[in-house]
Amino acid sequence: MKKSNWLAALGLAMLATTAVQAQENNEIWHYYAAGSELAGMNALIDAANSATDQYEFSGVVIPGNVVELRRQLQTAFLGGRPPALYQSSMAFELKTFADGGQLHPLTDVWAAIDGDKIFPEGVQRVVKVEGVPFGVPFDLSLINNVFYNKEAFEKAGIEVPTDWASFTAACDALRTAGYEPLGNAGGTFWSLYNFYAALVSVLGEDGYYKMASGELGFDSPEFSEALDLYRDSMVSCYAKNWSGKTWTQTADDLVNGNTGMFMMGIWAAGYMEGAGFKAGEGFDMFQAPGTVGKSIFQMDVLAVPEGPGVAAADEFIKAATTPEGQAAFATLKGSLAPNINVDPAVYGYAGATFTRQFSEASANNAVLPNLFFLLPTDLGTEFGVQIERFAIDPSDAVKSEMISTLEGFRQEALAENAFIKW
Amino acid sequence: MAQPKSRLTRTDWTHIAFLALPAILFVTFYIYPVISSISLSLHDWDGFSPRMRFIGITNYTVLAGQPRFLHAVFNNILWVVFMLIVPTGIGLLLAAILDRGIRGEKAFRIIFFLPFTIPAVAVAAIWRWMYEPDNGLVTTVMNLLGLGSFAQNWLGDPSVVNFSLMGAVAWWTTGFAFLVFFAGLRNIPTECVEAARIEGATPWQVFWKVSFPLLWPSTIIVLGMAAIDAMRLFDVVWSMTKGGPAYSSEVLATQMYDLAFGRFDMGRASAVAVYLFIIAGIIIMPYIVYMSRRVQDSEAE
Repeated sequence: MKKSNWLAALGLAMLATTAVQAQENNEIWHYYAAGSELAGMNALIDAANSATDQYEFSGVVIPGNVVELRRQLQTAFLGGRPPALYQSSMAFELKTFADGGQLHPLTDVWAAIDGDKIFPEGVQRVVKVEGVPFGVPFDLSLINNVFYNKEAFEKAGIEVPTDWASFTAACDALRTAGYEPLGNAGGTFWSLYNFYAALVSVLGEDGYYKMASGELGFDSPEFSEALDLYRDSMVSCYAKNWSGKTWTQTADDLVNGNTGMFMMGIWAAGYMEGAGFKAGEGFDMFQAPGTVGKSIFQMDVLAVPEGPGVAAADEFIKAATTPEGQAAFATLKGSLAPNINVDPAVYGYAGATFTRQFSEASANNAVLPNLFFLLPTDLGTEFGVQIERFAIDPSDAVKSEMISTLEGFRQEALAENAFIKW
Repeated sequence: MAQPKSRLTRTDWTHIAFLALPAILFVTFYIYPVISSISLSLHDWDGFSPRMRFIGITNYTVLAGQPRFLHAVFNNILWVVFMLIVPTGIGLLLAAILDRGIRGEKAFRIIFFLPFTIPAVAVAAIWRWMYEPDNGLVTTVMNLLGLGSFAQNWLGDPSVVNFSLMGAVAWWTTGFAFLVFFAGLRNIPTECVEAARIEGATPWQVFWKVSFPLLWPSTIIVLGMAAIDAMRLFDVVWSMTKGGPAYSSEVLATQMYDLAFGRFDMGRASAVAVYLFIIAGIIIMPYIVYMSRRVQDSEAE
């Protein structure tokens, strides 16, 4: 045989070997690429590998965020080679993929792990589409906490705010003492998450869900009132140049003592502790005015595409939803375990505080999922963009334009019957 | 008497075989995707569902009436103007300076070209850090120079963000223009320059009357690439601002990506792609046709 033929045969053999290996390797696609997030995900995968001899799992990082993961997934679906599981957002994200016939219903494994008992009701409602579970929670973060620099509060002589009046008074005192009162960061999410506090203050829990289901319009007086409250109480407190910063840069400002407060998801606590700024010592946290006793949360779930990896995925889910598996992820990543059977003692000061808040909110039936993911995807994304725009320029003209734009999106979604009741 | 039927020879078949491969690749990876995108732009599809809904030219008419889309078109045109003038001009200037044989020429060559070797995402990460509005390198240096009052909210102010991005892209891409111009200058026959000097031309006259006209092939390459880069701009903008804040730095490619994967609207994203294709053709094709004629004329001369 000629030399070139030998080389070709060798190449084909190598390709065939690679294909077989890829099929046997059950991949979990996620976008936790570094730091505590990656450590948490690796711990979760290790827990699953320890729990089963039948399957071998490996994580594949898709750099970026949920948008980049969607792009990669679409290619995989078209090619007929999806991963065994992937990291997904909740609610409408799951609905879109389920409606597209790409997701495997998790009814059997949900029953096997007793999902209706181990996850709070507020969590369950955003992983089920028409009563069928399509995602299993593994990563829950509260987004209604305001972190504050304790030294800044002491120097400014202020107590922890409990309502909007004391919050704006705290802003004034911090500014007088030489601090930027309230940090924020540029991007589609962060201003929106801040705005939820004002929205819940005005609408309450029922109104919040009415907005999610499209029953309450963006042109309603209540929404306008929420915008005014947000403008007067939070936007007026924002640090200068906030829109040009990432959330980590703003967290650094809090650590360095340039900024007094920063409303961000609880992952910020993990970031600051990683920078040596300890919870309970350097910084502390309180629930934003209007959300005391309530929890607004963001959550990631495991979704299972239809395909040959379903049996392996079931085994992974069984291991990942045990108290040990959930704690392994949450303690490293700095989030909360959605499983209520996880011992609160596994958390540090910050985690224990967030757990208390979440338990209290669950008892009050005041657990609110992130509105961004309850709305149809197009409307949710536009909502984030428009609130950021309003936060940068809170003029009446921009307010009027944003109301008109969002209401247009809502009417379009209503016409397409896109809203659902979560 | 009938002519004997012409039969393909073995050599002809060899030629056909060699031509078939690139032809098939071209059809599969260029013609088919273009046609497929045009077809997709006439549908409503989320990218996952098994069904697509035909909606005619609705995606095109909706986009044409959206301020967001028109703003992205404007930004792309702004980028074309910028790319044709700034990185090209600075590259030419640096090449002209270095061509005069200054000390440390080799080191400067590497320094000028080095940024172009860095991947776009890394460039974005570097400049995202440099543009931190309070403590970033740009603001800090301006403060040290007493220019702190001119410091901006570089990536957070909708009226400034495009210029900030252009600064990063100028740093990144000038090296390419520099290298092409520098190679062009070094290929100019020395006797032409010498003759001009003997005739008493000043260095300025030598450059504009002799060197620059002879740089025409290099200029064609640099300007053509700059225009194409401006129209397909995506990676640096997406990595640094994702088109924000509030769409202010959005270009057509980032809008297309957001619609396709951020909002599950493949049909409308495809319509943006077709618009981009047409706009790029309108802007770039006349230049390519004109330049091709100039090259043909030059060769004829």
